[in-house]
Amino acid sequence: MSAAAGVGTTIPLDPPVPAALAEEVGRRLLFVSPGITGYRLDTAEGGDLRGVTLYSDAPLDADAVAGKLNRLLDSDVRPQPPNPAAVVWASRRRRAATPVFPALAEAGAVTEAGEGQVAVGEPLLSLLEFFDRLVLDVLAEDFAATAYRYPTLIRAGALAKAGYFTSFPHHLMLVTRLRNDVDVYREFHRAYGAGLDPGVLALGGNVDYCLPPTMCYHTFHQHEGRTLGPGLHVVTARGKSFRFEAGYATTLERLWDFTIREVVFLGPRDDVLAAREAFMGAVFAALDDLGLGGTCETGNDPFFGGADTPSRIWSQRLLGLKYELRLPVAPDRDVAVASFNFHDDLFGKAFDIGAGEPREAVRSGCAGFGLERLTYAFLCQYGLDRARWPERVRAGLREAH
Amino acid sequence: MTDSTDTPTTGDARARIRAFLVPHMSGQAITDTDDYFALGYVNSLFAMQLAAFVQEEFGIVLKPEHMDFDNFRTVDGLVRLVGTAA
Repeated sequence: MSAAAGVGTTIPLDPPVPAALAEEVGRRLLFVSPGITGYRLDTAEGGDLRGVTLYSDAPLDADAVAGKLNRLLDSDVRPQPPNPAAVVWASRRRRAATPVFPALAEAGAVTEAGEGQVAVGEPLLSLLEFFDRLVLDVLAEDFAATAYRYPTLIRAGALAKAGYFTSFPHHLMLVTRLRNDVDVYREFHRAYGAGLDPGVLALGGNVDYCLPPTMCYHTFHQHEGRTLGPGLHVVTARGKSFRFEAGYATTLERLWDFTIREVVFLGPRDDVLAAREAFMGAVFAALDDLGLGGTCETGNDPFFGGADTPSRIWSQRLLGLKYELRLPVAPDRDVAVASFNFHDDLFGKAFDIGAGEPREAVRSGCAGFGLERLTYAFLCQYGLDRARWPERVRAGLREAH
Repeated sequence: MTDSTDTPTTGDARARIRAFLVPHMSGQAITDTDDYFALGYVNSLFAMQLAAFVQEEFGIVLKPEHMDFDNFRTVDGLVRLVGTAA
């Protein structure tokens, strides 16, 4: 639930949406119209959603918004048979969590740089490195991974091939530049000395590149057209990732610009599934060793507005294609800090990555860790007093210095 | 391929389920215990077609308690699902 001050507009949901699909409704509301700044889900007895209250700075056109919202729910949400999350792991310990962003801001450790963009300093920098190393150490227990650093920009064609444009248009970040033409630069000097407006895009040269929403698309693009040797192949990379999320709050829980440590498994189906399972188990054990509280449950990607959106969401949950690791950051709230995914042959086919004799599309899976969220969840559970942090963390930070 | 323990009702369900599945199996023959997802005969999106089929064909409404992949990945699973959800 997200609420903000402003004008409230109540939109009835007709027909109502089952309680188990409430989260699917909530995650879409801020993308319905740019004027919406917050929302409240209005549940009836039994939990079904009978309506939503949308908040905005100026009054909304209720009929127009209701039409847009109900059309979106008709296409994306209502066709899904209700399928609540199934918990596949729960931590040994439950630990109280208190949001620490205000304290971090007061200490100068975080500074809001823009919507969903936060400059971070110590102790977050050291902790972020610690958790990244922890993930790599856990990975190295069972797998020999090949590491890469990818460029920040990714070809738009690579994302198109991955199906990103049709699956997640709401998160897409396009990159352009001024067309390399002296007349364009002259016009730019003349028109935009005092600031930019959307008209500047008419002077843009292309949209051949995007900001990456995660690292694994780089890995698939890197391996495009290749035939892999037998067995499992493991690739890891860390990089800045970008997803537009409407309605940012001042926190590290929901960022536009964040850091992902990603591990990609490529190989035969059974090997990829076994690798995902083994890596998940090792990560859970490491979290238990640190005394962190959390759960892992079936989840789904935020598919949006496509003809097959309900099928993709529902099948992901039913088949256990995606598991989300969620850590509490407040008494009533947790965040997904990692996900463990199985893609079957989706990207092997899309990028013509083959293996075996006869050659067939390679299977793939990946695990992604949001390092800012992981670090933040740790601080929400352990606080800012280093003396109260687990010895393994303190020792890790000492070794790094 | 019919299970000898089938009642007339489940036997009928099994036949209707097999009749729906066979055209989707990429020309491969399946037994009642074959996991057609793991065998690669169908992709994950086929699960939604299965859900729509059992609801329409057998007049049942799928509920959260039916959301076990084991109910969808084999002929036997679908027969069991139809029997319990009816």
